[in-house]
Amino acid sequence: MSLLLQLLVNGLLLGGAYAIISIGLTLIFGVVRIVNFAHGEFLMIGMYVVWLFAQHMGLHPYAAAPLVALLLFCLGALMQRAIIQPLLSADGHIQIFATVGVSTALLNLALMLFGADIRKVDAVFGTEPLSLGSLTYVSGQLITFVAALLIATALHLFLKHTYTGRAFRALSQNRVAAALMGVNVNAMYVLAFGMGTGLVGLAAGLISVQYPAFPTVGSYFVLTAFVIVVLGGMGSLPGAVIGSLFIGLIDSFAGYFVGPDLKEVVYFLVFLGILSIRPTGLFGLGRGSE
Amino acid sequence: MIKRLKHFASVVGCAAAVALALSATALHAQEIKIGALFPLSGGLALLGDESLRGVQLAVEERNAAGGINGQKIVIVKADAVDANQAVGEARRLTSGDSVAAIFGSYASGIAVAATQVTELAGVPYFELGAVADTVTGRGLKYVFRSNSTAKNFADRSIESLTQVVAPALKVDPKALKIAIIYEDGPYGTLVGGFQKDEAKRLGLNVVESQSYSAKTVDLSSLILRVKSAGADIVLHTAYQNDAVLFFRQATAASYKPRAIIGAGGGYSLNDTAQAVGAPMEGVFDVDFPQITMNEAGAQGLKEFTAAYQKNFNMLPRSGHSLVNYVGAKAFLEILARAKSTDKDKIRETVLAYRQPPGSSAAGWGFQFGENGQNQLATTNLMQWQHGKLVTVYPAAVATAKPILSN
Repeated sequence: MSLLLQLLVNGLLLGGAYAIISIGLTLIFGVVRIVNFAHGEFLMIGMYVVWLFAQHMGLHPYAAAPLVALLLFCLGALMQRAIIQPLLSADGHIQIFATVGVSTALLNLALMLFGADIRKVDAVFGTEPLSLGSLTYVSGQLITFVAALLIATALHLFLKHTYTGRAFRALSQNRVAAALMGVNVNAMYVLAFGMGTGLVGLAAGLISVQYPAFPTVGSYFVLTAFVIVVLGGMGSLPGAVIGSLFIGLIDSFAGYFVGPDLKEVVYFLVFLGILSIRPTGLFGLGRGSE
Repeated sequence: MIKRLKHFASVVGCAAAVALALSATALHAQEIKIGALFPLSGGLALLGDESLRGVQLAVEERNAAGGINGQKIVIVKADAVDANQAVGEARRLTSGDSVAAIFGSYASGIAVAATQVTELAGVPYFELGAVADTVTGRGLKYVFRSNSTAKNFADRSIESLTQVVAPALKVDPKALKIAIIYEDGPYGTLVGGFQKDEAKRLGLNVVESQSYSAKTVDLSSLILRVKSAGADIVLHTAYQNDAVLFFRQATAASYKPRAIIGAGGGYSLNDTAQAVGAPMEGVFDVDFPQITMNEAGAQGLKEFTAAYQKNFNMLPRSGHSLVNYVGAKAFLEILARAKSTDKDKIRETVLAYRQPPGSSAAGWGFQFGENGQNQLATTNLMQWQHGKLVTVYPAAVATAKPILSN
């Protein structure tokens, strides 16, 4: 029994880390309708910046997180304005090539600047193993989990109750109609893309306590994040959170009962199964959306 | 007038070209080109470059002593980041640059691909660092390897368990519960597979054997399995990130086996030890010889380290430069003894080449089998003690005693 409970806790906490990365990805997809293949590399840049702050200014990753979020907001907004915006009316696959190109460029830039070594932040707070009865976990994982839920809730409220949030939702439903209603499409896109990458900056601060930075770290997380976003329904915020927890749980239980080498097979099977029943994902908007 | 000028220019041009060609041939007679095929960019670049440094040092040393029978050795570098590029670069070296031999290649996938090309082209391939047994196990006639293989890694780790760890714990090796875990790429699968075979042969008690993707971000389920199986000893073949992840999550799950024996890769790197921190203390590691071993069993180690520091202004980043240096040095000597670049003459010389164990800076001897594999290349058992990786076994090259609590 305590074993099952431990697997449950491990799965949920892992899901928390996935959630915080997926939220930004789904926001960008939902509003700008772009699959950002450079999302993982933004995470990687964020983790390196966190490490630089820790190394040179002794800043704890949690303290650095807002700064990194701000920086990545600017980078993301810049990418939208300079690279994606000129391609908005082009074919979808041209935009995909553009984001893949940015991803490759950033990856190799990191290899050039930092080399292939791993860079680990030495933090005490967030790495202490804690136990509750027979359950064990790490404080940082719990913090990431709670932060993911808080951020998702805040974002949800923002989308529901502010003018900008309404504009985001209007854009995701119909870009042309939104423009006709007076929404400044380009400005909103820059803002949404920036927010999406800013969120991954927060994620970088939170997970840097647990995971070291290295050039390909983004690809470790982002493939799963893509699966989660599609599973939850592309562009759906609750879908991303539920999807993350779901994948985390499958990872944990399949890793124990089926085998660590086969856990990906299990979650891709579940993923395909769900998509064959609900092609738009768990919380997808259905076929009517753009 | 203009016509005459043109005529004059073409005559001068021709003369210059002829002169250049003549001088090139003259130069050619005094030098011998060898290819150096390593991953020099991309994800494997760090240790690929570290390996190349070993070859550079060996060539420099040989050139300072007069080269190969009076000919100066020139290295032609080739960057092979993966198997595809390895094929292309091997073609370029063997046809375009017509090198006498190729030295390589750090990664087994690269070695396997490149040797397919060189064998057909009839150019000898000297492997100095790739560990997959298949590199020399495919019946190729002109592929030779100086370094130890995945089987050496596996056998040495099991031997360490029976000869070093179990006696120090004062228990019968058969009474210990063993978990064998490994990343599911070619490297981990090979070493892990050989470990399982060897453990079975010796009748050891393997309670868990599992592979996992080196790109995973969560090993907590694997650790729970190993922990619930009550494993005393963990044999772990890993790269760097998964090694760090394993220790972090094992600490979180408050799992501490009586001994962990890593195999190469991530376990030997200082960065790994730094990232892991305190839990790395006392961890064992089977790998290529490192510069920290005892000079007594490794002739010329001090000179190697000094030459490395002089050239690169730092200490070697890993043992790769050392084993590549040792292998390259031996093969250059073989090229000199062959007195020819004929492939069959070279093969004959390789097979006749003998050096006793302990005679090289890696502590290795040389004696090549029919398959081109050096049978006197070994791996050592090391342990992280007080933040440093020290060699503890075999005795001839050990600098410290193994430390085991309880």
